[in-house]
Amino acid sequence: MSSCCSVEKVPEEKKEGLKVVALAGNPNVGKTTIFNALTGLRQHVGNWPGVTVEKKEGIMKYRDKEFLVVDLPGTYSLTANSVDELIARNFILNGNADVIVNVVDASCLMRNLFLTMEIFEMGVKNIVIALNKIDIARKRGVHIDIKKMEKVLGVPVVPTNAKEGEGLEELKRTIASMAEGRITTNPVTPVYEELIEREIEHISSLLRGTPLEEMYNIRWLAIKLLTRDQEVIKLVLDYLGSGKMDEILKHISELEVYYKRSLDIVIANQKYEFIDQLMHQFVTHFGEAKETFSDQIDKFLTHPVYGLLGLLGVFYVLFKFVFTIGAPLQELLDSAFIALGEFVAPFISNEALRGLIVDGIIGGVGSVLSFFPLVFLLFVAMSILEDSGYMARAAVVMEGIMRKFGLPGKSFIPMVLAFGCNVPAIMATRTLDDERDRILTMLINPLVPCSARMVVITFLAGAFFSDHKALVAVGIYAISLFLALLSALILGKFVVKGEESPFIIELPEYSSPSLKVALVHSWERSKEFLRKAGTVILFGSVAIWYLSNYPEPIGNGLSYAEKLGKVFEPFTVLMGLDWKAAVSLIFGIIAKENVVATYGIIYGIGENEEALISLMQNAMTPLQAFVLALVTTLYIPCIATIGAIRAEGGNKWAFVASIYNLLLASVVGIVVYNVGLLLGL
Amino acid sequence: MVMLMYVRLTQMREGEKGVVVDIQGGYGARQRLLSMGIAPGTKIFVLKSGNPGPYIIAIGNTRIALGRGVAEKIVVRREL
Repeated sequence: MSSCCSVEKVPEEKKEGLKVVALAGNPNVGKTTIFNALTGLRQHVGNWPGVTVEKKEGIMKYRDKEFLVVDLPGTYSLTANSVDELIARNFILNGNADVIVNVVDASCLMRNLFLTMEIFEMGVKNIVIALNKIDIARKRGVHIDIKKMEKVLGVPVVPTNAKEGEGLEELKRTIASMAEGRITTNPVTPVYEELIEREIEHISSLLRGTPLEEMYNIRWLAIKLLTRDQEVIKLVLDYLGSGKMDEILKHISELEVYYKRSLDIVIANQKYEFIDQLMHQFVTHFGEAKETFSDQIDKFLTHPVYGLLGLLGVFYVLFKFVFTIGAPLQELLDSAFIALGEFVAPFISNEALRGLIVDGIIGGVGSVLSFFPLVFLLFVAMSILEDSGYMARAAVVMEGIMRKFGLPGKSFIPMVLAFGCNVPAIMATRTLDDERDRILTMLINPLVPCSARMVVITFLAGAFFSDHKALVAVGIYAISLFLALLSALILGKFVVKGEESPFIIELPEYSSPSLKVALVHSWERSKEFLRKAGTVILFGSVAIWYLSNYPEPIGNGLSYAEKLGKVFEPFTVLMGLDWKAAVSLIFGIIAKENVVATYGIIYGIGENEEALISLMQNAMTPLQAFVLALVTTLYIPCIATIGAIRAEGGNKWAFVASIYNLLLASVVGIVVYNVGLLLGL
Repeated sequence: MVMLMYVRLTQMREGEKGVVVDIQGGYGARQRLLSMGIAPGTKIFVLKSGNPGPYIIAIGNTRIALGRGVAEKIVVRREL
């Protein structure tokens, strides 16, 4: 995990001189709902610099003033153990926010106040607490005296029910007053046992007078040192030198011997005890934890058998929804691009330029973009499942199965989405917290056949195996899924190293998702993908267009594409495929369904399917067709997918995925073809 | 039958209550558990148990699912 933890400490530039409001809080506390309510969906989704953690920003208006609201990643604490936590921590430490809104779930106060105490300990003062889900807390019999809570914690507390819009005006008003410096606060900080306090004081005395005192809260540094926070140890080492650091570490070890456990446990324990004391001052009734209706549902939805059936059902409905709406839109967009090309063509007199623009850019980019409705709808479906709370249950059901292949249960979701389209599937990998899990899931994702490859598989299965077409098609799916899981094991061992992450996941309360929010969010994410993958798609489209039109148009064997096919032929022939297949596979990189269409172009018969089938039947044996379908499924991902991997994982992993897939396809193709020949097929 | 007082979470059965007394295991997993409210002194209620996991526990109104590996590391004092 070491690579993940060096998130750079770059001070955020303040946009247009707007005051900055940062939202911090645990996952599942309704932070996003509050964000949406404050910004009224005037928002922008991007990434934090250098990492693939989603960054949401929006503008909040109060009276005549505007504020920039930043949604920090949802975290349970502010350690250096995950990218999310480091981002939130550095943002707060750097003083980037004029106001920090700590969103707290009133129905799980104890755990939520743990993060609150971590923020308070950092020495920041400009904090407002949004006590959200106050309605649920009341329903559970929890009574909170808000006035007393403000007094005990030393910061303003605004009770909210963000779903219903309750308390939001008050929250805005408080934020605005604090931003203008009209509220003074005095956040309470935890007091620890004598022995711990003495050590905190000792470390603090060493740190005082160093430049660190100017930049950080000394007490916070001391407490973080006691918990052996790697980032803080590194930081302090630079200023104190190893002699004094060794002395500090020696003291820590002595204390650990005394307490008979690690100090991070001792400190967390005492922090919870402190919170418990605070809570007794302002919580008058605590309510009783008991099994609820939601727990009954969970027993069913996380059951190894029923849960799995439920999961299949949910994803069946998901795909039904996505394809019923998406497929007609896809065709519409496709014909729109063709129409656009035809419209533009007469205006460009230069033939080469017209080819470049009409066939290369509009045609190529259009064929990739026609998948856009599918991508967008899959995002919408995902977003709804995520907001409803179901995703966490799906992760629990799949944990046992996926773990056998070195992957967490959550990685199942990107794999399922890939049956629709690999692009949203790869973008969905960012819900995995662990860097290793994320990269691994991303690398094996292209091996799951998407809907474009289904076109090729069913076409070839239908043309060559009319009696057993379903069996053949299912066989190809089974082989590629098997290879995906096998690859997870192999890549996890030799390429993407690191420890498997422990399985700890909160099951948030079920809630009814908002379609409006899902639409806005999905639109932002789809746009982000286009912006990032756009260059790859454009470049790829133009390159393929050039290869197929120079020095002469494809069809008579003189184009670079056909020549390239012939260059590859000595290699592809090992798997029984001639240069035509090689050319088709090159075109398939634009979009996999091109593999079949390219045959039509090479034979010069366009889209006449019957003629194409009979020509292909004469030129290929069923074994060769099977290998072609298999290789099409496995080799280099399409450019949109490569673009997605590049956007999410960087150039290195986009390259690794492409090469690995190509190697795998080659090996499998050669083996299957030759075994088939031996069997006399 | 003798009921052990101190057990690992994996040995707890559905419907049983207990108090966390210790968390073993690696730094990362431990920090995660601590911040999610699973610390020594925390009262838990086992909602789902049994091999091979995952285990589901309730802490107040929070529900947390844990893999077997993690559940093994949590030592609980059983409350009858």
